[in-house]
Parts: sequence; C-alpha cells; structure tokens
Amino acid sequence: MTSAASPTGPAATPRPGKEREPDARFTFANERTFLAWSRTALALVVGGLAVAQLLPPFPGVPGARHIIGIPLILLGAAVAVFSYAEWQANQRALRRDEPLRRSPLPRFLAATIAVIALLAAALALLSAVTSHR
Amino acid sequence: MSPASIDDIEDVDPGLARERTELAWTRTAISFAAVGGALLRSHPAAGVPILALSLLIWELGRRPGKPGTGHARARHLQLITVVVLGVSLTALVITLITGW
Repeated sequence: MTSAASPTGPAATPRPGKEREPDARFTFANERTFLAWSRTALALVVGGLAVAQLLPPFPGVPGARHIIGIPLILLGAAVAVFSYAEWQANQRALRRDEPLRRSPLPRFLAATIAVIALLAAALALLSAVTSHR
Repeated sequence: MSPASIDDIEDVDPGLARERTELAWTRTAISFAAVGGALLRSHPAAGVPILALSLLIWELGRRPGKPGTGHARARHLQLITVVVLGVSLTALVITLITGW
C-alpha cells in the first residue's frame, strides 16, 4: 500500500471526509499509469484483430482464429474500462489522503491471457491431430 | 547519483513529471496512429477516424494539466477510454464479418 502523503513535506493534512488537490506528481503518475493501461488495452485489441485476420486458418478446426481473437478484443475493452475506474479510485484516494488500494488489474490480465494462451495451444493441438487423421 | 539526489532534482524541477506525462500522451497518440495506419489499407472507413483521433489525443497531451483542473483531465481520460472502446467495437465488427 502506498500512502498518498506529499513527498515534498508535511502538506496540510485534510480532516476526515475533506478533499484537497493532491501533489501534482502523484496526479501525473496516476495519469501515466492510466495511459500505460490504455496502450495495453489497445495492444490486446490489435492482437486479437491480427489473430483473426492475419493467421492462416487452423485445418480441421473452423473458427479457431475467432475463438482466440475475439476474447483478446473483449479483454482489451475490459482493461480500458477497468483502468479508468482505477484511475478514478486512485485519484479519489489521493484527494482524501487515503492509502491506495491494491490493483486487481495485473492479476486479472495475467490470468485471462494465460487462459487464452492455453485455449490457443489446445486449438493448435486439436488442429494438428484432426489434420493428420 | 544517489536516490536521494534524484529526489532532490524532482523537488527542484517537478516539471520532469509533467514532461514524462506529456511523453506518455505522445506514446499513446503514436499507438493510436499506428493502429489507424495499419487499418488504412484494408478498412479505410475505420482507419481514417482512428488516425484523426490520434491527432486529437496528441493535442490533448500537449495541453499541460494544472492543479485544480481535475475535471478537465478526467474528461480527457474519459475520451481515451471511449476511443479504446470504439476501436474494440470496430475490431469486433471487422472480426465478426470477415475471415470466417
């Protein structure tokens, strides 16, 4: 957990329930984190589109490219929405001088990508088995 | 240079944080431009608006955030979220109607 206290010194501590403009550096850091997540979301969307459009078809498994590509596109959209919600939550915590909550986004992203990777491996294996029959 | 003296530089010139943030906006705008450019040949109806939006994002990133302008920054970030969702929707439509 990271405290939202100012690194430059003891800024006026707000009373409970009161909000104040946080240190500009924290605001900028929060914004950069949001932008990094947005680029990640965009990369996921483009990756999904590339899988569906550019990969050769999987012999024996019709629609396999779409089964891999569409979840990646949806994951990108979800990351975009969650990252904005997280930016808002972090900004609110900074204004109230509260500790920042731990982000669930990295775990969510890692787990979903792992599932999609396993799915892709299973489809590739299935395609190899069915095309050799 | 010790970590303490790096902190001191930040204290003397907090503009470094601003500059890093402007560079992050530029990277984001370039990412959108790359996506728009990639779609331009195969799907110009999707590529041209994304390219135009990348210019808007680049312009927004050049506007420095000031203390007390939280609502304006929130609107800029909302725009980024909406644009990513728009690109996702476009990609989903392209994927669903082609390549089966």
